[in-house]
Amino acid sequence: MKELNVPALARVEGDGGITVTLDGKKVKSVTLDIHEGPRLIEQLVKGMKPEDDVNVVPRICAICTLSHKFAAIRGMEKALAITPPEKADLTRELMMLGENIESNSLHTMLLALPDFLGYPSAVAMLNDYTDDVKRALKLKKFGNHVMEVTSGRIVHGENPIIGGFGKYPSKKMLEEIKAKAHEMVPDAARVVELFASLEIPKYADVDTDKVFMSVDAPKKKFHLYGDDILISNGKDFPADEYKKFTNERVVPHSFAKRSKYNDKTFMVGANARLINMGKRLDGQAADMFKEHFDKRWLRNPLYNNLAQAIEIVWAMESLPDACDKVASMDDPPTEQPTRTTGSGTGAVEAPRGTLYHHYELKDGLVDVADIITPTAQNLDDIEMHMKLVAERMLAEGKKDDEVRLGLEMIARAYDPCISCATHLVTLKRF
Amino acid sequence: MHKLRHAPGDPEEVLKAALEGVAGPGPVYVLGLGYADKADDGAGVLVAETLKKLFPNHSFSEHDGVEGTVLDISEKDGPGTVFFVDATDIKGAPGTILVVPREDIKETEISTHRVPVALMASVLGREGKGTAVVCVQTRSLEFRGDLSSEVSSAVDLLVRVFGDIMSGRPG
Repeated sequence: MKELNVPALARVEGDGGITVTLDGKKVKSVTLDIHEGPRLIEQLVKGMKPEDDVNVVPRICAICTLSHKFAAIRGMEKALAITPPEKADLTRELMMLGENIESNSLHTMLLALPDFLGYPSAVAMLNDYTDDVKRALKLKKFGNHVMEVTSGRIVHGENPIIGGFGKYPSKKMLEEIKAKAHEMVPDAARVVELFASLEIPKYADVDTDKVFMSVDAPKKKFHLYGDDILISNGKDFPADEYKKFTNERVVPHSFAKRSKYNDKTFMVGANARLINMGKRLDGQAADMFKEHFDKRWLRNPLYNNLAQAIEIVWAMESLPDACDKVASMDDPPTEQPTRTTGSGTGAVEAPRGTLYHHYELKDGLVDVADIITPTAQNLDDIEMHMKLVAERMLAEGKKDDEVRLGLEMIARAYDPCISCATHLVTLKRF
Repeated sequence: MHKLRHAPGDPEEVLKAALEGVAGPGPVYVLGLGYADKADDGAGVLVAETLKKLFPNHSFSEHDGVEGTVLDISEKDGPGTVFFVDATDIKGAPGTILVVPREDIKETEISTHRVPVALMASVLGREGKGTAVVCVQTRSLEFRGDLSSEVSSAVDLLVRVFGDIMSGRPG
């Protein structure tokens, strides 16, 4: 028995590794090992007031902080029977656009791209791709700015609250964002151009009957939140029924839970969003999706990077209109709860996939909290793909280092956020 | 320039000389990294936020956006030096300060979704700006814990020393 290890998976958020166990030339197993300790968040918030919970839960992660904030607020508002004002909804859309630009630009350009261009890191890439590295920093900076204007801070902003916002962005700030977004569309388009020009390795093309899941955004738009979940097999479910299609379970080699749908792995993330809602895009993003989408996206997770790049264009193009709408409305009062006992599920699209926050409240306090992160949902799919790819590469006589890189690229393509995935409490070893 | 390890109680002048030695011509910038909710992990942020009151255009922290700040500094005319200040486990007594010059900043990118310091240093370097990392040995990383007395002293020391250096530099 031989093991082929990637002890510390680089360029992902959190601590994880990959272990391939070989029996002769046969791949016995491939595991994505999660080294990061549990976060205990769901237990921590029990007994808390809803307004405290929505401040604590985003601390799971400083990358998807606003997705966690938004999912928690949506879950709580449902549990408290609050309908948020339209201006709050639109301002939340703005903040999610900012997070999408920030996270997708970092992941595509600085974490994933070096693999495709044959560099060990973005540092090594800098000399040959100076403008692109700086463009990535510029895009990230702008995404951070939108997050700061809407949420109050770049990381862990506390301005979004249950029932609305502490303070809405000023017209002047919105005008500035709008102007800058117009100016930066070509920068976003360059990211797509770059990824579309790459040779996507065929070794990662795998025929499976897995499905892709995402929210079904309201009003048949392409967006990052929704009350229903779309599945690429044509089915859809209310997000409240999330347990039926996530089916979480514990595995011995990881602090993160796993998910399967109908006993099969599934994928969430930009790839899934575009597969399920790509036809709803408009503008340049729609043209790019039409030009670049093909059936390989269904078979090869490395296309998730191109999907993320197209999303940056979509987000950049969406900002001006979103700014106009928010600026045209008066600041509404914060909506107040109409009950103290109830339950609700908030589903949003974090940059790396669908995120659920489910709450059950009793007499105004959190009785049950359940958080299902996108990375936890993707882990089984990552392992499935890595196993099939390892088998293929070893059968083709690839060297160990080539196999290692191939598997790392697959894991990275899902943009995993290991910190988020390790929030659970119980780990049973069998 | 080699790394300098400054233990609690060592002369302040030695640290100041080391930082002056690393800094090239032009303005000195401080960029504080870390997470202020986790006790000593917030040392870098505390140093930067304190200095920001005196040097608002030269001291920045996580709250200002790290990569964006680096990009802005890189686009300024002329030379300058950016000191990244961060709480770190450097296998020393709590409050020990380690000054790591640019050439010793490792280029590995393990487990981070933030742009690596090495990349930011390279971007700055291409525009003629120097960089160094100032590490502060932590005692506690407890969530919502207090700053340890040793790290608190190190923060005060760094604020004094950087304050001296920055006030003698061009704005």
